[in-house]
Amino acid sequence: MRPSTWRAAWAVYKNELRLLAVSWLGAVFLSAFWGLGGLFFLVGIGTTGEASLRPAVGNLAITLLFLVPMVTMRQLADEARSGTLELALTAPVSSPALLVGKWAAVVSLVGVGIAGSAPWLAVLWRFGEPDLGLAVAHLLGLWLVGGLCAAAGLFASSLTTESMVAGVLAVVLLLPTWLASAGRTVAPAVAQPWLDRIAVLERLRTLAIGGIDSGDLVWFACATIGWLFLAWRVLESRRWS
Amino acid sequence: MIETRAMTRRFGGDTAVDRLDLSVAGRGLVGLLGPNGAGKTTTLRLLTGFLGLTEGSALVCGFDVVEQPLEVRARVGYQPETPPLYPELQVGEYLRYVAEIRGVQRATRLSRVGEALERTGLVGWERRRIRDLSKGYRQRVALAQAIVHAPPLVLLDEPTAGLDPVQLVSIRALIRELAADRLVVFSTHLLPEVAQLCDRVLVLARGRLVGDGTVSELAARAGLERALELGLRPGGPDASVALAALPGLRAVTPLGEGRYRLVGVAAADVVALAVAAGWAIESLIPREPTLEEAFLRLVGGDA
Repeated sequence: MRPSTWRAAWAVYKNELRLLAVSWLGAVFLSAFWGLGGLFFLVGIGTTGEASLRPAVGNLAITLLFLVPMVTMRQLADEARSGTLELALTAPVSSPALLVGKWAAVVSLVGVGIAGSAPWLAVLWRFGEPDLGLAVAHLLGLWLVGGLCAAAGLFASSLTTESMVAGVLAVVLLLPTWLASAGRTVAPAVAQPWLDRIAVLERLRTLAIGGIDSGDLVWFACATIGWLFLAWRVLESRRWS
Repeated sequence: MIETRAMTRRFGGDTAVDRLDLSVAGRGLVGLLGPNGAGKTTTLRLLTGFLGLTEGSALVCGFDVVEQPLEVRARVGYQPETPPLYPELQVGEYLRYVAEIRGVQRATRLSRVGEALERTGLVGWERRRIRDLSKGYRQRVALAQAIVHAPPLVLLDEPTAGLDPVQLVSIRALIRELAADRLVVFSTHLLPEVAQLCDRVLVLARGRLVGDGTVSELAARAGLERALELGLRPGGPDASVALAALPGLRAVTPLGEGRYRLVGVAAADVVALAVAAGWAIESLIPREPTLEEAFLRLVGGDA
């Protein structure tokens, strides 16, 4: 009997979490996330005097563009080289189920990182009067960025069997979404709408003031699904190449 | 269980599998034999759906590998040439994961994993990390993952590659045992392994099936016959002319030092002739055609 798509994705998801737990990769990711996040938080409060997560979240979103590919680079590239991808692709697991399971595991890891940021909120409450809704919006934005990076990272990982190449490639793919925000100030007027469309930080601006814009959510959903779709096509094309 | 019709796979301009027609059913051990580059791995990958067919069709366990790949994969156990293991996992964790992705229900998962551990001699090794195992035991884990969902068909790609002689013996015994209640198809380029283990041999060369049958059937197809090797005391007269008169003889080949290879004659006739001619027989040995001879004849210059 073959498992349903969701059961297969669930099995892959649990295994990915197990691998993250036992391979130290998860611990290294979380240490970096919390370490850098704490630093950004303290520096942000010190420089702005604002009882808010905003400065830390903005910097952490950029940090995720570099940290998440370190996790995803192993997920398909390394597995293709070690042969475990062949195990999954010769089991009754569809490529979408495989990708969703792996993507969800990375998103969960980012979620653990965000949940572990609770002490920052406690500090804000101890010394100020932060807006809880605003803080939730900030952290939601961070999580959406994590999901986007995981999807792009998986796509990069599907393109090669060299995990380092996959990591670098993912950063290269994600960098324009960050640089577009900076570039729009110096770009010609005709290019600005296009840069706005890919700039991930622009999508966080509404969240940064505590609002949740459905357009931004749709943008994150489309971008994430788009990268996963491309990864799916690459996996399928391997059967024919 | 396996039915292929003109199954073809090309990689760019290279044809790895060329219009392959296979029909394999029942239980037992079938060897897929061929020199390096003959298309063995590609054939197995096509049958699992890991690779797509360029042309032709393939049915595995009654399902089309292109149209119904997930149904096929649920019924096939597969061990790639590189054992697909997660070194950082424990043996038990790994097998439970494989059982889950292969669709074993939660209620029977533990018992299926236990069964696979037992059949592959891994009981007591469940909590060992795979990275700490020897190559032979890793191979056992790889075999256990291929049978954990109790598939009717198991495909093994060079399962004994790189093993030492002691490991070879135990893994071969294990493969033989696995074939008792299912069909096991395994690829190899080791002739003694196939001769020793297999009920049926499929010989591939340049992606084509050039032989199919038991070792003796392959020998017959290759034009090889059972022979007698006669050894006379050295220094005696040349017996070729007298031997050529034996009834039914199709070939006599002098091998030197009083030895002759005779095809198509009965041992009793040879002994009678030797007694009548006063020859001293040192040996009279029946020689079956070997798989090696048949293989070399079938694949031509490819081996």
